[in-house]
Order: sequence, then structure tokens, then C-alpha cells
Amino acid sequence: MTLATEVEASLFEVIDPELGVNVMDLGLIYGVDVDDNNNVNITMTLTTPGCPMHDTISNGVNYRVSQIEGIGEIDVKVVWEPAWSPAKMTDRAKEMLGIG
Amino acid sequence: MKIDTNIKLPLAFILYALLALVIAQMIFLFRHDLVNAGQFHMPHIWMGSHFLLLGFAVMVAMGGMYQLVPVAFLTPIWNQTFGFVQFIFTAGGITAFAILLGVKSGNCIYGGIVAIIGIVMFIIQMAITIFKQEKKNKMTLFIIGAITCFFLTIAAGFLLAWNIAFGGIASHSTILFSHIVLGITGWFTLLIFGFSYKLVPMFSLSHGFSMKWAKPAFFSYIAGLITLISSFWFGNDLLQTIGWLLLSAGFSFFVLDIQEILTKRFKKKLDKPFSFALLAILIGFSIHVLAFLFKISGIQDPIIWGWLIYLYVMGWIVFSILGYLYKIVPVLWWTYKYSDRVGKEKVPLLKDMINNQLSIILFVFFIIGVVGLTFGGIVQIEIVVFIFQMLLSLTSLVYTISIIRVLFV
Repeated sequence: MTLATEVEASLFEVIDPELGVNVMDLGLIYGVDVDDNNNVNITMTLTTPGCPMHDTISNGVNYRVSQIEGIGEIDVKVVWEPAWSPAKMTDRAKEMLGIG
Repeated sequence: MKIDTNIKLPLAFILYALLALVIAQMIFLFRHDLVNAGQFHMPHIWMGSHFLLLGFAVMVAMGGMYQLVPVAFLTPIWNQTFGFVQFIFTAGGITAFAILLGVKSGNCIYGGIVAIIGIVMFIIQMAITIFKQEKKNKMTLFIIGAITCFFLTIAAGFLLAWNIAFGGIASHSTILFSHIVLGITGWFTLLIFGFSYKLVPMFSLSHGFSMKWAKPAFFSYIAGLITLISSFWFGNDLLQTIGWLLLSAGFSFFVLDIQEILTKRFKKKLDKPFSFALLAILIGFSIHVLAFLFKISGIQDPIIWGWLIYLYVMGWIVFSILGYLYKIVPVLWWTYKYSDRVGKEKVPLLKDMINNQLSIILFVFFIIGVVGLTFGGIVQIEIVVFIFQMLLSLTSLVYTISIIRVLFV
């Protein structure tokens, strides 16, 4: 398993407290880049720019990734473009939220 | 960029507000005789109304804005220490002002001055914070409009308090009507409109809506406010009718947007407290239309209009706040207690923080209480007024306890 895959797998454990669904299934993670020194750049978004959980969720992502053995510097960037839409959710997330 | 506000700041405002809600309802209960007689221009009723509107509604609005403005506008609060000092001035000032209004009206200006200092500090805080927002949006327009109305409400209120203390200012009634319209219609309605554009899509997980009616809603509403207030100053009946029409049109445009947002929502089953806040929109809209219809029908009975204002305050402003508060407080406390644990361990979800079943009972009791009290007040049966005011007082108390219990989860 590559480190990038390991990072992505760990993010299934970071749950959006309002929706009760993890950030990966919600489609909030736009990109995970790991360089040769194991430094990680994560690009993510939130369901809405005015989300009260702005810092909480990005801090949660940062913390969970920092627990992976051998990880270097972590940079979590929250972006608003492209905007999140429900189309980015996995079928599992849609099912959990009762969306057909 | 870190934009979270220190939780103690919004919580201080909200806890004071909940206490003020219970005090206001208790005052109305003890003076239910005045409520029954439709004597709203009496010191004890002033005391209760100012505990309700300033102590509860304004303080929740301030606390809510300290929490929501940074996340909704992606701009940190300008100075949080200034915010705590502002809380002390505002809470102390409002308490002194409301009590003096009830027990020694002639001296209420002294409490009023302290409250005004606190409110002006809040306006400065928000103005600087919003000014720093990089990308202004439609929501900014509503919030700036609301804050402007708030400032004018306070200025008019100061003139009224000055007149009660020292006299010498003519047009007391005209200033009073302007004060009421600017305060409950301008400040609160524009504020709720503005935040609804953020909160309704967020709580309903709505996407792809246009908000195409936001600007017409804002400008019609502002035009309605100016026209209605002008009608008081010029004594022009036609202007008053046009004012109510424009306000109703503004509210209708807002409702059209909310309807579209809800149609395009992805969360089919909405939370009960949020549904209650949505019901408040329907009530607010109905009251705007009723006010216009009453005006063109020539209904001038001050008791009818007094109860219409009461329904507006309770059904629109207070119900909106009660609904949203049930969502906001768990978010605040959750952020404080669990945000550092996200990703580290299993943490509760927001819906686990509050008793949703109890919220249904409380909201139903609030509706029954307001409807029953209004009916009792219009037909002027004292025992009916007493029973429903008792229901409202007890429901407010249990509501307050249920919110405070969140802090022990």
C-alpha cells in the first residue's frame, strides 16, 4: 500500500459531525499528494463555505494523518473552487443520507 | 486561516439570553392582567418586552453573529477581547435598562446609555469584521442593512428614553413607531433573511439554487421600511399602505428563494428544530400579508395591531431564534469539547447532543401557547391569558434547561 493510499484510507475515519458521514465518502477530499520526503499536501473542501465546522474538520484531517507512521509535514488546504456538490458523494454516503 | 471564535464569547451571550427569555415570560405572567387588557404601553410590559427583545433576541443575535459571521464570511472576528468587554457593557446595560423601565422609568436612560455603549461596540466590531471580508456577497448586503437598522433603532430608543427622563423632544409617538419598525422589522427581519440564506441550504444540504430573489427582496424591504417610517412622520395614510405592500413584497421574494432552496435540498428528512425555524418564516410571511390586508381594510383597533405585533415578535423572531438555537448550541459545545478529538477517537454526532424528541414537545407547546394567548388577549378573557402565558413561561423554562443540559454532555 502506498503512503497516499494509506492517507486516504485513514480519512475514512474522520466523520462530519452534522451529517455523520466520513469526509472521503462525502467527496470532501479533492487531492492527496505525497512527495519523496513523505510530506503530505491535502486539498479538501466543505459542503458549504459557511460551514461552522470549518476548522474542526480540517484539524481532524490533519490529526488523523499525523498518526500514520513515517509521515512528514502535513499541509491541509481548504478550497472552495471547485465547489462541492452532492454529485461528489459516493453511493454509500448517498444511502446513509437517504438520498436516492 | 483560523477563523473559529472562542466559544466562551458566543456562549456568554446565549446563556444570558436564555435567562432573559425566562424572566420576560415570568414578567408577562405576573402582569397577565395588563396583557389581557391590551395595555402594552405600561412600564411592566416595557420591562418584559425589553427583556424579551433586547435581553433575549438581541443577545442571541449577537452571540450567534460572533459564531456565524467568521465562518459564513470566512473572516475572523476583529477583536475578541473587545467582544468580552462589549458583552459586559451590553448585558449590564440591558439588565439595568429593562429593570429601570419597569420600576423607575424616569431613570431608564442611565441603564440605556450603558446598553447603547455595548451595542455601539458591537456595531463597531461587526463593521470592522465585515469590512475585512475579501469577497462581499448577497448575505453581506442583508447583514449591513440589519446593522444599520439596529443603529437607527438604538438612536430612536435613546431619544425615547431621554424624553421619558427629561422631556423636550416632540413627536414621541412617531419616534416610538419608527423605533418599533426599525427594531423588529428592520434589524431582526433583515438579519434572519441574511443568515437564512446561509443556514437553510446548510441544514437542508441544498445545492444548485439561484438566490435570484435576494436583491429584489432586500431592496423592496428597505424601500418598505423607508416608506412606512415616512408615513408616520408625514401622517400620510397612502404611504403607510404602500409601505406594508413593499414589505410584504420583500418578504414574498425571500420566501420564493427559500422555497427553491428547499426544493433543491438533498436532505429529505429535516431536523425538527430546523423545521420549526422554517415554520417561523411562514408565520412571518403571513403576518406581513395580514398587516397589509388590515391596512387596506381600514382595521385600526390598537388591540388587534398590538396582538399582530406580538405574533410577529413571537411567531417570526422568537420562533426563528428558538429553532436555530437548538442547532447552534450543540455545534458550539461539540466544537469546544470534541473538535480536538476528531480523527483520534469516536466522537458523538451533533444529533446525539440534544434531545430531539423533547424539542418536538417544546415547539408544539410554544405554538399552542402563542396561539392561545393571542386568542385570549383578543377576546380579553383573563383566565385564558393566564393559562397560556403560564404554558409559555414553563415551556421557556424547560427549553432553557434543555439547552443548558447540552453543556453537560
